[in-house]
Amino acid sequence: MTLTRGQKRGVVGACMLAAILIGIGVLATYFASRYQLRLIYSAYVNLIVVLGLQVFMGNSRLTNLSHSAFMGIGAYAAAICVTPVAMKQIALPDAPWGLNAFALDPVMSAVVALVITGVIAFLVGIFIVRMTGTGATIATLAILVIVHSIFLYRTDIFKGNQALFGIPQVFSLTSIVILAVIVVFIVRGFRESAWGVMLRASADDETGSAAMGVNVVRLRLIAWVLSGLVLGCAGIAYAYFLGTISARPFYFNHVFLTLAMLIFGGMRTVTGAVLGTFAISFGLEVIRWLETGPVIIGIDLPEVLGLSGVMLGLVIVLTMALRPVGVMGDREIEELVLRNK
Amino acid sequence: MEYAAQQIINALSFGAEYALLALGLAIVFSVMGLVNFAHGEVIAVGGYTMVAFAALVTENPWIIIFGAVAAATLTSVALERVAFRPVRYADPTTGLLTAFGVSIVLQNLFLLFISPRPIAVTSLYFLDAPVTLFGIQISSLQIFESITIFVVIIGLVLFLQRTTLGLAMRAASLDFEMVRLTGIRADRVFALAFLISGLLAGLACIFIMARRGSVDPHFGFNPVLKAFVACVVGGFGSLPGAVLGGFLLGAIEVGMLVMLPQEYGGLKDAFVFGIIALVLVWRPDGILSPATEKGDKL
Repeated sequence: MTLTRGQKRGVVGACMLAAILIGIGVLATYFASRYQLRLIYSAYVNLIVVLGLQVFMGNSRLTNLSHSAFMGIGAYAAAICVTPVAMKQIALPDAPWGLNAFALDPVMSAVVALVITGVIAFLVGIFIVRMTGTGATIATLAILVIVHSIFLYRTDIFKGNQALFGIPQVFSLTSIVILAVIVVFIVRGFRESAWGVMLRASADDETGSAAMGVNVVRLRLIAWVLSGLVLGCAGIAYAYFLGTISARPFYFNHVFLTLAMLIFGGMRTVTGAVLGTFAISFGLEVIRWLETGPVIIGIDLPEVLGLSGVMLGLVIVLTMALRPVGVMGDREIEELVLRNK
Repeated sequence: MEYAAQQIINALSFGAEYALLALGLAIVFSVMGLVNFAHGEVIAVGGYTMVAFAALVTENPWIIIFGAVAAATLTSVALERVAFRPVRYADPTTGLLTAFGVSIVLQNLFLLFISPRPIAVTSLYFLDAPVTLFGIQISSLQIFESITIFVVIIGLVLFLQRTTLGLAMRAASLDFEMVRLTGIRADRVFALAFLISGLLAGLACIFIMARRGSVDPHFGFNPVLKAFVACVVGGFGSLPGAVLGGFLLGAIEVGMLVMLPQEYGGLKDAFVFGIIALVLVWRPDGILSPATEKGDKL
């Protein structure tokens, strides 16, 4: 198999990103406290979410606001499959269709969850990819609301806003770093593949690329399903580490957060997705600390709840006003490091 | 028979509320291609103004109503100046995400400076009195709502058809460069679009407040979510589409409430959005979407 020049550079760039991800993971393992480990783990989960978002948004330039719903679907599907029967009898006593009478091993559960997420993403995607710009965005918003109201309504399966507990803790920081690295390779690979190139071309000029024989609708659907699968992975990783999930985290707040990450870094590149995730994850921790009203050089600061939300919104607004393509713009990491040939 | 008439009136009044909001979104979208996510926060500003007026100035409901509408209008115009001017000629996605950011900032400012909890305003309850009309029990609020949307539509049509600025606004939705070449100032057209949008948000705010009686940081979120859907169904950027979409959504929502068995009540939104999705499969760009000419892209 011969690779094009873009694909070769893609491999180099993905390796660089992988090195950074592994580096942060190793540092965290040696130096972080238990609490910090959890924060870093959730940063990696968000990284996978943002990467999943980038696959669709970055290549097709349609805005997707339903990503947290797909993460939720993956998380719930995996959680319901993997939880031991004894625990499920307590957590979900009224579950229909014998959902509380079986349990699978983690790998099988993950596979089942991915299949479910993929099928749902495919069915929804058929509708979404036919719409244009704004219509598609609002339709994804509708999906988010539909999925959330089903989570809230079917309390016998999803427990709604209460916690679904008893999920065995399968994942550690090491596993999520490995998963994130794999996802980086997949996402970057898609961007540089023939499909990714055609899809990006169609985002730049839909009519022109269609005239060149690009099947825009089919390519968007492929990107959408791939995005759904990556988001499903993020959901599984989330459930497998925390051991308990509820419907609340898979709604608007999480959508805002991950979208801000992607926008800040730059949705057109994988590097931008990685940069944005880590910059905002760590930035927010500092702001959360300020929110609690700490004492800095003798000055007792007041408690300001909501500051992190204001900052998150400002990041989006300022990025859009000053640099709409995000910090990275169209440049991937290897283009910064290597000399331009 | 009476029951049916009652439900039809319910559907009309719900539809009128959505149509008001959807018109506010559509008028901005048709001029500058911006999906204004912050519309809900403009409504919330109206609600908070009511709280402030009722507590500090006067209990007179007409002054409160005037204050709320004025505040919403000013907020909308101010947002255009501060936040949306830099993205004026940017692509729709940039504008959409900016508005998204503005919405988050405002919501959290309410949270930060006012209160995360709902605050009650009771001075508008008098709008919601029961009225018997031809043997049907309805609320006066529903009549006011239907009349308001009727007046608004007539006013808008007159404005757009009869005045130079109205003509400029209609032309702006087709070709903004041409409008500027004829000597109309772009600033004025944009400001006017946001002014009308804010005015409609203020009117909607009164009805929502009269019904709910309290305001919280996420006050405008759900109504505007519905208005977005109404816009999409009707065809984004089309003013008749926004009205049609609003009424259609009202009808579907009331229909769902009437026909769904009690135990599925919690799934109402899911069903409503599901039906909307099916409409979009039939017409992906909305029912009355303006024709797009893809060939003349430069």
